[in-house]
Amino acid sequence: MKIAFKINGKSITKEVRPSLLLIDLIRDVLKLKGTKPGCLEGECGACTVIIDGYAINSCLYLAINVNGKEITTIEGLSGTKSPLHKTQEKMIEHGGVQCGFCTSGMIMTTKAFSDKCIAEGITPTRDEVKKSLEGNLCRCTGYVKIIDAAEAVYEN
Amino acid sequence: MDFDVINVTTTDELCSAIAGNLNNNFRIGAGYTDLILELKQARVQDLTIINIAQLEDPSFNSIIEKGDHIILGALVTASDLVDNKKIKEEYPVLYESALSVASTQIRNSATVGGNICNASPAADMSAALVALQAICNILDSDGRERNEPLVSFIKGVRKTSLVKNEILKSISIPKNSSSHIKSGFEKVGTRKSMEISIVSLSYHIQCSSEGTIEKAGVSCGAVATTIPFASSACNFLIGKNIDAISEIERIGFAKKVLEYAIPISDIRASAWYRKEVLFNISKSIFES
Repeated sequence: MKIAFKINGKSITKEVRPSLLLIDLIRDVLKLKGTKPGCLEGECGACTVIIDGYAINSCLYLAINVNGKEITTIEGLSGTKSPLHKTQEKMIEHGGVQCGFCTSGMIMTTKAFSDKCIAEGITPTRDEVKKSLEGNLCRCTGYVKIIDAAEAVYEN
Repeated sequence: MDFDVINVTTTDELCSAIAGNLNNNFRIGAGYTDLILELKQARVQDLTIINIAQLEDPSFNSIIEKGDHIILGALVTASDLVDNKKIKEEYPVLYESALSVASTQIRNSATVGGNICNASPAADMSAALVALQAICNILDSDGRERNEPLVSFIKGVRKTSLVKNEILKSISIPKNSSSHIKSGFEKVGTRKSMEISIVSLSYHIQCSSEGTIEKAGVSCGAVATTIPFASSACNFLIGKNIDAISEIERIGFAKKVLEYAIPISDIRASAWYRKEVLFNISKSIFES
């Protein structure tokens, strides 16, 4: 099946197997390895990417359904020549990264949530920030530093 | 996991895809948050997925008001419900149930039609919709439509009244007749997120401006093979004043809700625990 989509600003057309999962398109076909395969059943959020502004689990998404859509992966937030995204900077500042496996998912979820909050002119409460991260598991940090970092995104 | 996909973008294409596959093994794919997991485990051979994720028909993918009903397209996601101001303000039971589904990422994909057609007695949005006395609008491959109350549409665990050439198009919920409502969704699980209900209680009660209960809808999730609508508990409330429900009446109400619970013991909880919890949460909704 032929699909046309944008990923990290770049337009791509690909012929894909109908049952191909989005995570496999991103990692194996497009070789973008920042999106992590964790539980592969929608529990851990390590594979989170943003499609048209919405954070989704790429392990539970058919690649064919990105046709006509715009995907952002962790590679789309910054590069070797561009500065880190604010969500990434805050994660470093607050020591929210240990092994790093969950980090790209945490960042993508935080980015989608903060974009939505900023667009609606809302500063979320700490509980709302926590709730926004409910679909992301971390087995190292104990979450406090990650939540601190996600909350700090709204500081001026 | 391997299957063929027929991609449909219009309702006509959808009807022909269903009609053309009646002799084949096919499934409908919308949000995929349950289907992909099921297919990974089941290793089904020769399966065709009719993909409706790219269907561009507003009757399937939008929330509209029509006459005295609000109509939710089957492809409306849990996030669409959470972000809808009218749902949040006028149907708190549905808003809270949608917000309690899994996680943001799942809610962004998972559809209300999928939650219903998966026919799990623990399905949160379905439970709220049973309390709201929702009607399923069903389309067949010849373009004919029929309506059926959600409470009877769900026939048992993973069983609905849909026959092979039918698909759930939308769900209608009656508009509130009063602005004085008490409505909510109580979910008990072992943690707050990514949790399947051990027990849930949905209630949507409409009162006169003086507080007299005029209409009530109550349903309980994860305590039977279907999602029962607790009619006798609803009838018990009619005529009472919402702000003056006595302790004895709370117990009376909770006992009536419990009549609908025929739970099983499973990995998540024992039947005894489910009944205790259902009794206590039913009693608690009129406290405070």
